[in-house]
Amino acid sequence: MTTLQELRTTHHLLRDAVLRSGGTVAESAVHTHVPQPVRNPFASAVAVEHDPIRSIELGEPTRPPAAVAFLDGIQRYGAVGWIGLTPIVRGYVAAAVLTRRKGDALACSALAEEEFIVVPIQRLPDRARHELEALSLTLYDSPDSEVPHPVLDVQLAAQVVERRREVVESRAVTQYLAKAPGGWLVVDGSIGAYKSQTDHAHLLGLIKTHDTQYLTGSDLHTALMLPPGSRTSVFARTAGEERAAVTWYLRLWPWEGHDVLHGLIRLERPPSDDAIAEATEVSRWILSERAPLAGRDGRWDRLIYPIHQVEEYLRARVGEWR
Amino acid sequence: MIRISNGDPIGRVVATEALPAGPHQFHFWTAVNTSLGIGAIVRVSDEYDRTVYAVVLDGRAYSDLATPLHDVVASEGDPAGRPAPTRRTEIRLWTAAVLRHVPEEPVQPVPLAAVHLATREDVEVALRIDGYVGVEQPTGLPIGLYTAGGTTAPISLDADFLLGPASAHLNISGISGLATKTSAVEFFLSCIYQTFPAHKGSIAAICFNVKGPDLCFLDQPAELSDADREMYRQLGIEPRPFDRVRYYAPFKADGVNLNTLRSHPDLVETVQPLMWGLREVLDYHEVLLNRDDIDAKSDAFIDFLADRVVEKEFRDEWGNTHRVQTFADLERFFRAILDGLEQGRGDMWRTHHVATMRKVRNRLLNISIRCKGLVTDDGTVSDLPFGKFEDRALYVMDVAGMDQLAQDLAFTRVVSKLREHLERRDLGVDHVVVFVDELNKYAPADGPDTYVRRMLLDISERGRYLGLVLFSAQQFRSQVHRRVVGNASTTIYGRMDMDELATPGYQVLSPATKIKLATLPKGELMIRHPHFTQPVFVRFPRPPVLTGPEGVQRFPPAADVPFEDAVVRQLTALDRSLAPGRVKEIIGGRQEHDVRRALLATRRARPEDVLGYFRATLGSSMVREHVEIVSHSTTPLKQVEDPYAP
Repeated sequence: MTTLQELRTTHHLLRDAVLRSGGTVAESAVHTHVPQPVRNPFASAVAVEHDPIRSIELGEPTRPPAAVAFLDGIQRYGAVGWIGLTPIVRGYVAAAVLTRRKGDALACSALAEEEFIVVPIQRLPDRARHELEALSLTLYDSPDSEVPHPVLDVQLAAQVVERRREVVESRAVTQYLAKAPGGWLVVDGSIGAYKSQTDHAHLLGLIKTHDTQYLTGSDLHTALMLPPGSRTSVFARTAGEERAAVTWYLRLWPWEGHDVLHGLIRLERPPSDDAIAEATEVSRWILSERAPLAGRDGRWDRLIYPIHQVEEYLRARVGEWR
Repeated sequence: MIRISNGDPIGRVVATEALPAGPHQFHFWTAVNTSLGIGAIVRVSDEYDRTVYAVVLDGRAYSDLATPLHDVVASEGDPAGRPAPTRRTEIRLWTAAVLRHVPEEPVQPVPLAAVHLATREDVEVALRIDGYVGVEQPTGLPIGLYTAGGTTAPISLDADFLLGPASAHLNISGISGLATKTSAVEFFLSCIYQTFPAHKGSIAAICFNVKGPDLCFLDQPAELSDADREMYRQLGIEPRPFDRVRYYAPFKADGVNLNTLRSHPDLVETVQPLMWGLREVLDYHEVLLNRDDIDAKSDAFIDFLADRVVEKEFRDEWGNTHRVQTFADLERFFRAILDGLEQGRGDMWRTHHVATMRKVRNRLLNISIRCKGLVTDDGTVSDLPFGKFEDRALYVMDVAGMDQLAQDLAFTRVVSKLREHLERRDLGVDHVVVFVDELNKYAPADGPDTYVRRMLLDISERGRYLGLVLFSAQQFRSQVHRRVVGNASTTIYGRMDMDELATPGYQVLSPATKIKLATLPKGELMIRHPHFTQPVFVRFPRPPVLTGPEGVQRFPPAADVPFEDAVVRQLTALDRSLAPGRVKEIIGGRQEHDVRRALLATRRARPEDVLGYFRATLGSSMVREHVEIVSHSTTPLKQVEDPYAP
């Protein structure tokens, strides 16, 4: 039987082997479950700034522009009852735009929210449908699984909830842009969801997850081995999202001793010459957003504090949501 | 600073399972930049017409920083690094203690509602001042201004609870020089004199000046700043000095120079000498004779003297008749008795042993030496006008220059006389405030059980029924007898010492309140009063009278002068047209004690013709006749034959 001491020794032996091989030791989370397979592991992209992709050192971070806003959204849902085998899912989505005001404190500039019911309407008996329609909540139809399935039906309803979140996010963006048309808007995630606003020149998407890889080969190596305070060359993603965008990787924190994706984010902007020209400048002020640290969130290495605050704001508003 | 207009909430009550809102205490948050502070009064109202008034006890601020290390990481270890573009979310979380619920019943947890700064009207309701101010028979006595969160409101105490009969007494603590204790009492007395309600009767005060010139210039106006005048205006008090101040001070050992720092020629005429004779002292012998001196036998002999000898005609066994009225008479009495005993070879006289008598004789006769200036050998008495106290008059007894024993005697006798007269309702006023500084000296928490301390305990426990009210002050409350300060219904704290605040008596105060007390600026006090369920901070203007140091600067004390010059000075103070040479001519060759007696009578009478009165009182043949008491049954005293005898 392998003792704990022997396990520790194995750990050290492995680390030594990695170092001797020219690698970098890391300390990722210990997993106990096999995750769901990535839906779109690869997508295509083309180089627009340099080919091959380079690592560009950014130098000192700079103060962000005066007018910067931050967008994020949340969603809550749960089955509140069953009519036969049909789940009645209640959903809530909200999105907010927070801006920095005097004294650098964040305050809400735009807010959109919605509470609703999601249910496969076709499957409902007339009486139940009438009862739900009599409520003041909007009733959304969820895709009907061919055979009732308690887990699948809720998952299908969740997709509707997610779409509603994207809608309220889009609504919040519209609200904000109506108030401050020239300012920067940093959104949590890809800008692809904001179809109608992607023309907004100062839209900046901040992507924390890297399930989809746009680069391959040495380009991918360059991107994932980025030193802290560096960005990659700008490239354009051409597939995998509904609209194309120019994008680049940015390393916020050193990854050594952690995980290769530690501190790595990807920034997106609507395609334009300015977007490429401003990549370094934008990266520098995003680097300055490392402080304050969103330390309470497990994703603090990739989550900038203002986005974290938008989430906190929305969570505080919704509370326990019962 | 966030601008708050009237009616806008400044915060919201928050309650969690770990930090719930109760009926007596709750928590609320405000904007980071708020005008709120420790001691501010707030109001919480809900939609069910329930209103809670509370005072802020404590405040905390924190951000969403999970660990200080995160700040280090974000700043990359450089404290001087560039500031973060976004300020962390912060909270100002306040703890407030409930002052009042409206309606009073049922007592419920504070509603989780909006918090407002108290308005002037709110402050009155919160502190229950509305129960005794603005009513048919008001009993409010202004004591200072509540100034917090942009609200200024006069704070009044209830006369029924400050001056009796419901409760009484005031005690003030704080560091000397910073707590402004004396100034506060001067200001309070000024307020009381101007606002004491007519239906409560008349009032006077006796202040014992126990150190320096503190209370020597209460009739002299101070120069006040505009801010002070504005405070007076808001309190409805006129900033004027006391107009009926009567000063009393003993003489120095020489018997003619007054033992006071109020001896400037322009002021000395207003100081009455304080002189007591044998009877005045004998009644309070317990003060002067400590426990080691007095046993049951001595006590019995002193009682015998007081009951049978002093101020009575007493015939001894050797045929002498004594009428003991002065210490000199007492000395002659003792000499006669002891000589008689020596002749008779006996040890006992009327059940008293000769050793006891010698001991009592030594102790009693020594008093006139130890308290010289206050106690006279010749029986001359100049005392406070017991029975003729005037309404709103302030009697200042300057005992600062006397030794501790004489101070104890002065204090005990005056207070005892006040009590006697108040019991008989013939003092002249219905209420008397007695102000004593350095209470820890007179009623210490530990140490021997003295007569003075017992008397202070008695006043503090029973004085309110008589109208005898104790205003006392000391640096350290913990060093004063617990029952004396505990019976003070109104307790005031100025700037406090941190060590003192760490003593058990201050456990009820929140840490923030203690910090505030330890850093209180001059002119700000914390008050506890029976109607206030929590301590309240108030500001008060500087008193309308000169402080001791200012007074000494403006009226420098006169230097002591020889006997003749002192008599001239005192008479010319009564009549500035008097020629010094004429006075000296009149007193030339006269016995000093005769001159003193005439001088005292003249000062007391304040006649129009000062010199004529003085001369008439002195008499034309005031040469003292020396009469030897010769006992027919005893031989002349040996000492008389001794040419070196004193």
